[in-house]
Amino acid sequence: MKRGFALAACVAVALVGTAACRKSGEERLRRGDRLVTATISDPKTFNPLLSVDAASTEAVGDVFEGLVRLNPKTKLPEPVLATLWEHDEAGTTWTFHLREGVTWHDGAPFTADDVAFSFDAVFDPRVPNSAKHVLMVGGQPMRTEVVDPHTIKVMMAEPFAPLLNSVGFDILPKHLLGQALKDGTFTQTWGIDTPPEKIVGTGSYRLVRYVPAQLLQYARNPTYWMRDEAGGALPRLAERTTLIVPDQNTMYLKFLDRQLHMYSPRPEEIDDLRARTEELEIALDKIGLDTGMLFVSFNRNPAHYVKDGKADPRLAWFTDSKFVRAVAHSLDKRSMIQNTYFGYGEPAVSAISPENTAFYNPNLTPYEYDLDTARRLLDEGGYRDRDGDGVREDAQGHPLEFELSTNAGNQVRERLCSILKEDWTKLGIKVNYRPLDFATLVEKLSTNFDWDAMVMGFTGGVEPHASSNLLRSSGNLHMWQPNQRTPATPWEAEIDRELAAGARELDPQKRVTHYWKIQEILHRELPMIQLVRQQRFIAAKSYLVDFVPTVWGVYQPERIAIRP
Amino acid sequence: MLRFVLHRMVQMVPLLIGITFLSFVVVDLAPGDFFDTLSMNPSISPEMVREMKQEFGYGQPLPVRYGRWLWRVAHLDLGMSVAYRVGVLELIESRAMNTVILAVASMIFTWALAIPIGIVVALRRGTLLDRSLSFVAFFGMSVPSFFLSFLLMYLALETGWFPVGGTTSLDYPILSPLEKIGDRLAHLVLPVLVLGTGGMASLMRLMRSQLLEIQSADYVRTARAKGVPEWIVVSKHILRNALNPFVTLAGYELGTLLGGAALVEAVMNLQGLGTLMLDAVRSLDLYLVMGSVLMSSVLLLLGNLFADVALTLVDPRIDFSHLEAVR
Repeated sequence: MKRGFALAACVAVALVGTAACRKSGEERLRRGDRLVTATISDPKTFNPLLSVDAASTEAVGDVFEGLVRLNPKTKLPEPVLATLWEHDEAGTTWTFHLREGVTWHDGAPFTADDVAFSFDAVFDPRVPNSAKHVLMVGGQPMRTEVVDPHTIKVMMAEPFAPLLNSVGFDILPKHLLGQALKDGTFTQTWGIDTPPEKIVGTGSYRLVRYVPAQLLQYARNPTYWMRDEAGGALPRLAERTTLIVPDQNTMYLKFLDRQLHMYSPRPEEIDDLRARTEELEIALDKIGLDTGMLFVSFNRNPAHYVKDGKADPRLAWFTDSKFVRAVAHSLDKRSMIQNTYFGYGEPAVSAISPENTAFYNPNLTPYEYDLDTARRLLDEGGYRDRDGDGVREDAQGHPLEFELSTNAGNQVRERLCSILKEDWTKLGIKVNYRPLDFATLVEKLSTNFDWDAMVMGFTGGVEPHASSNLLRSSGNLHMWQPNQRTPATPWEAEIDRELAAGARELDPQKRVTHYWKIQEILHRELPMIQLVRQQRFIAAKSYLVDFVPTVWGVYQPERIAIRP
Repeated sequence: MLRFVLHRMVQMVPLLIGITFLSFVVVDLAPGDFFDTLSMNPSISPEMVREMKQEFGYGQPLPVRYGRWLWRVAHLDLGMSVAYRVGVLELIESRAMNTVILAVASMIFTWALAIPIGIVVALRRGTLLDRSLSFVAFFGMSVPSFFLSFLLMYLALETGWFPVGGTTSLDYPILSPLEKIGDRLAHLVLPVLVLGTGGMASLMRLMRSQLLEIQSADYVRTARAKGVPEWIVVSKHILRNALNPFVTLAGYELGTLLGGAALVEAVMNLQGLGTLMLDAVRSLDLYLVMGSVLMSSVLLLLGNLFADVALTLVDPRIDFSHLEAVR
């Protein structure tokens, strides 16, 4: 008994001791010239070409650079390793003039050979990477030709307008990785077991330390080429640290505990943070709407409906424009925003986010929430409740009943589904809601096509051509009827044509019209009925200087500084 | 004795093959695979997914894949993680330290507190002390550990006494050795408290019931009647005889040591093996799952073996020599 107490006393003393030694959060956070942020998961690789997840891409985001990068303010490509570029009359040969005096972190000079090597790596059949299919033009890989150490020509089979939005991939050092590409070990290079000092890029920071599951640490690249207007060295901060925090709630607690300089709050945290901005010395900024899309789609794939030679009536409903328009008018987007985003969101009109000012079509008329219109459209389409059970029947007497699915575990989508179910019940449509685990969902979407209605989302970038996998009728992600040999409907054929034309059109003004047209068609035919978009926020310490966050990323992150 | 140990070691081989084969089949039967998430990404082409599958030997028949895996394992190569493209063994190594520190610390904490408390409450049966500690024990057993983690983290945030998550603070590399130890300890307190609470309760209850059972045994009554001092009765007659289930338990703990704390690890940001494996199972990272299954099975079997050997040492009634005689 006494021993127990003695032990407990010892433990207590030790605890109080460690507690007393702890410095206040702000003191810890402000020590030194560094920026501390957090990420949700470990990088899977340090080889930027091989990364397929956001965490890996982010982990080396400041270590490597591409020829160009997206300027999040103008949404246009801005020069990085390339300073100038031009193309010939036909638009099939592009010449990039490279920045002079740039060195790799190990001191070796950066030249056109590195660029050519990086293109080789992208197109190497033994290197699976996501840049490859984006850069295939007319089914052909691009060819490169080194003109001199600071000039390189990139040649492609046909004009390719998305080029500048696609050549932002990271340039890799030939002198370090050339051998690996040659002998086929490239996919094993620069894994997360590689010592950080061996990861060599041209970027503003070097990776100096990686403790798995804990943190990533970066030190300023002292020979970085970029200068500010006054000729001062960039980046301004000597160090950066990214904590790896796999749980979103924990990340929030860490921000409240002053362990992080910035944090992207979830909608439910906004009001809480707003009330504490003074106490925490933070600024809470609205940075814009989500760039992706969230929609409900109906299965229009005949393969799903024709069974034993009998056509299922659902295919007729889902391809009936009256039916889908009725559905579009039945979406209570205000309550969706309230229930899923705590009021911080906007109804979505187009497949492209309004944040993508270069390509968003502002002229679409939203489908207003109007149950009367929806009922009228259903009546017109011959869907009436003939037996008085509250569920409408189609002209052949089949009751309107189908399944609605989404991936289980995604809270936003699950809540959206329950609101949809409620809205549709009001219209006299019977919905069986069935959440699916992700693997089953993928199987249904890509293998057996066995689904009726689905709430899904995709992330989006500035370049609309990147969605061609989804929009083109032959695309494998063309959800409502994937992998079509020939377009099933005239409007899908039209989208295919517009996509192809948009990719070939080099005049930016003319190019936009093609994507406006695509948005109009999607808005009219409603293969994906757009739901809502979340309003994004960033909370950051108010003593951060020149910190300009946008939904597309931080504007010129190397300028961020800390006010003493 | 040596023969017994060797015999058991040999027996472990078919057992391990059985366990791993079953796991392999189960992972294979689970709907989908690692590449599903990739195939739903618009910026990843189906060709790329195909290439990656090929790279990792997917698409071959199951027995072939299992055979290849087993062959590599026999050469102490656990294969490559599909998600990380790094050897499974290296991955496990990189995370193991956190988990081992956490597991050992919480085991020490649990045992060092639970056993004495269990003894105390058994000897003071029915008193207020017994009842209140039993209440605390049941509370500890029934509160979900992730919830307790959040509760304590919130407490840490409000009071500032303890760090909110993590295993070391940011300035760890520049601290003095003594400060380093203090820093580590401060970060350990909350997770150890959470992990220890659940285990402590059951251990304490077990100790209590063991003691109560033995206390009414004839030899204890005899000893007391003879006037043997109480502390000798407790330590020599009661405690020694109450030990058996604890030895067995300790053996089992070796097996659960490395994978048991995934939720707490995730919430408290201590990622170790638990979260690594949880992620592996979630993303169907086949070889990583297999590596962790193999590792925990080996530890469990070894733990059992140690427990059996230890039992013969603490309890003379248990003897494996007859096994040797049979052979």
